[in-house]
Amino acid sequence: MRTTISEELKMLAGMARDFAAKELVDEREEHDRFPFAPLFEDVLGKAVEVGFFAVMLPEEAGGSAEPVTALCVVLDEVCQADASLGATIFTNALAQEVIGQAGGTDKVVMIACEDGSFRQGLIAFPSYNDPGEVDHCARAARARGGYELSGGVEYVVLGGLVKRALLPAKVEGTEGYSWFLVDLDADGIDASEPVLSLGMHACPAVDLSLSAVPGALVGEEGRGGEYFEAAVDRLSAAAAAMAAGVMKGSFAEALEYSRQREQGGRLIVDWSGLRVMLADMALKAKVADMLVEKAAFAADRGELGWQLASRAAALMVGEMATVATTDGIQALGGYGYMKDYGQEKRFRDAKQIQSLMGITHMRRLQFMQRVMDGEAAW
Amino acid sequence: MFEGMTSSTLLEKHPRLEDVMCSLDSVGKMPRGVSAEIRQAVALARRFNETVARPYALELDREMHEDPAFIPWDLVKEINRWGFYTAWIPKIFGGKGWNLGSLIPVVEEFCSECAGIGNLMGVEYFGMSVLFAGWNTRITDKICRDVVEGERSGEPCLIAGLVTEPGAGTDAEETELLHKAQVRCLARKVDGGYVVNGTKVFISNGHVSTWHISTAFEDLSRPAESMMCFAVRRDAKGFNFGRMEKKMGQKGCPASEIIFEDCFVPDEDVIINGEQIRKLRHSPKETAQQVIDFVVTLTRPGVGAMGAGVARGAFQEALAFARETEVGGKPLINQEWAQCLLAEMYANAALARLTYMECNHVTGLYGMAWMLNWKPLYYYMKAMPPSVLDRVMPFANRLQATQQAFRKLIMDWQKDEDARRASGWASLSKFAATDLGIKNCHLAVEFMGEAGIRHDHRAEKFLRDSKLLQIYEGTNQLNRLNLFKCLVAPAAPEAQVFEE
Repeated sequence: MRTTISEELKMLAGMARDFAAKELVDEREEHDRFPFAPLFEDVLGKAVEVGFFAVMLPEEAGGSAEPVTALCVVLDEVCQADASLGATIFTNALAQEVIGQAGGTDKVVMIACEDGSFRQGLIAFPSYNDPGEVDHCARAARARGGYELSGGVEYVVLGGLVKRALLPAKVEGTEGYSWFLVDLDADGIDASEPVLSLGMHACPAVDLSLSAVPGALVGEEGRGGEYFEAAVDRLSAAAAAMAAGVMKGSFAEALEYSRQREQGGRLIVDWSGLRVMLADMALKAKVADMLVEKAAFAADRGELGWQLASRAAALMVGEMATVATTDGIQALGGYGYMKDYGQEKRFRDAKQIQSLMGITHMRRLQFMQRVMDGEAAW
Repeated sequence: MFEGMTSSTLLEKHPRLEDVMCSLDSVGKMPRGVSAEIRQAVALARRFNETVARPYALELDREMHEDPAFIPWDLVKEINRWGFYTAWIPKIFGGKGWNLGSLIPVVEEFCSECAGIGNLMGVEYFGMSVLFAGWNTRITDKICRDVVEGERSGEPCLIAGLVTEPGAGTDAEETELLHKAQVRCLARKVDGGYVVNGTKVFISNGHVSTWHISTAFEDLSRPAESMMCFAVRRDAKGFNFGRMEKKMGQKGCPASEIIFEDCFVPDEDVIINGEQIRKLRHSPKETAQQVIDFVVTLTRPGVGAMGAGVARGAFQEALAFARETEVGGKPLINQEWAQCLLAEMYANAALARLTYMECNHVTGLYGMAWMLNWKPLYYYMKAMPPSVLDRVMPFANRLQATQQAFRKLIMDWQKDEDARRASGWASLSKFAATDLGIKNCHLAVEFMGEAGIRHDHRAEKFLRDSKLLQIYEGTNQLNRLNLFKCLVAPAAPEAQVFEE
């Protein structure tokens, strides 16, 4: 994407690259030790300051009102270094997008706190589940002119860190589910310890248990699925950008190592079997880069069929990244499996990115359903 | 074109029937008791899994996340108490003498719950196979009886195998690469023994083992011609533990760095060296490859069994998820796409299992312990009371004549054809089964969505654990080349391997 984006976006990419190099690379292993080491709160604070959490947010809500391409550029660069921050940016952006789709942008005011705190501005969100498929929804009851939420919502990303969450709940007596903004400091909320997960340890999640917790309805009752699907349409390109970034990071590390490590009396990059493996990684990264660019531009321009283009990119790039990062470890042999290099983390992160926004097989079936329903596929 | 060719000539054509259907030859020669032994061993492993491995696997993994320096001594003691560390030591060396064919199905069972715990048990037999491969009956007897005593006393005495060096991973497993390798572990001959200097890395069970069976080189400029092997205790002067690696998975099994600093190894702890190798039929380089092949012919199908184990474990977690989850308002288990996927995962585990079971037949016929499957000896050992063997064998194993007889029988008389077939199949199982293993783990995590990435649903742990299987015991790339060398190149005599 670096060669085709506008000068403005190139500057943004350069800024994200510099940020990642300065704030993420050296401490990557230590950051990844969360919850058994402190969270990189200082990095999150700096990410707030540079605007990573408000890239697409409208200006009236305190954002930069950039297109989805801009978010993709940031995520690509950040995830080459450490996808944990990328997942944090993504989760918050997805929550913002759902709210935006529901016409509730006024509810999202990005607060760039002077003390570097990210707690006020970010929104926790169950970003690995489609509530219309796996029913991890709370129950909402009308009470005192509003709503009270009870029940459980699993794997709420950033849930233990920030003040507000956007949660799915089913309103009694209505079809479908709805979205509610919830104050996580409210009485009646019980958050688990951070859930130990495959990847992105520095973007943790908790299981929430709610008991008559006040919730502010976002949009209209029963239309949660509609808002979510529309948000997924737009943010799928961003998920693809994350996977592409991780893949590029893995390839760069593998190539660098292969140019230094000798076996059988020569550099391993000079053994053609390994070189083919590296070529496959490079090819996947290149194709991923093209897909992300195409999908993001199409979304920004509102091209015919951009929604399915975005989803196709997420599914295909997500899958490619799991294969490429598996080889990314293999190229380093035993060293790739250890924490010393970034490869094992990239392998875990790529696999976790694949599960963003729901089970891939269901997303494929949805894709097919929309094609059969007459939506433009290309 | 086949007119006039005899049946035996036709069967000799590539692919030779003997190369591709080893089980056909093996089944008739296999003692009937082996089947019952495998059943008993697998049942015990399943009992261990229910009692120990399943309840503890996640907790152990989490503990290692929190404290990468944690050493699971209690678990080692528990495995020791269950008798797994001596079960496959032959009776002539004081062990229980279970048939070797039952070892790798047990490895699958362990790994279907936790590959880390599986390795904590199984890699003991890697160390042991390095010990056995030099056919020094005196020292083998001494160390094996230490392990048996460790079981009796409740203080485990484990054996680690030390091969990989910082600059030589793949190179250390193939003599055609070894002669150009950057090995640094030097064994210098001095009066009464050797002085060893160098570093070994990624040593599974290093920190929990008492005996360390290591390769080293008497001449670093000619490593393939000067490989030697020795045993050293963890408390020896000059033997030092370095770092314990921080691995992505298989966290329950420590991977250690071992540093030799002027470590004196007395002659009596040398398993095989240049002087002894020169008395054998093969050249020193050929003998080095033979020793390597003796080891990997046993251990690579073991890693294949680990692949089958993780493939099965991931499948089981996916199946459980499908049974307890509704997706889109319908039970996942009743959705056709999910049924197809689960069927594929079942098949992947089954295919992985088939590769190592075929290897079981191959090693039973051609591996370094083939005689244990020779019916007269098998039944003789079954009938012989351990008390009698324990009185006679320690003495017999110390005799130079015993060692020479074994080396003649196992090393000098081994047919090149048999070695080639066994090594090729071991590689086949290793890379094919572990590729299937990680494939299933990928599928399970993807299939389970949000649940798949959670530690408490186990699938993600299987994925982390499975990746190492493609790396150790020779990367899957090396094993592909070894298969080519052993099973494909004979049909293409002009082919040169490792000489690109």
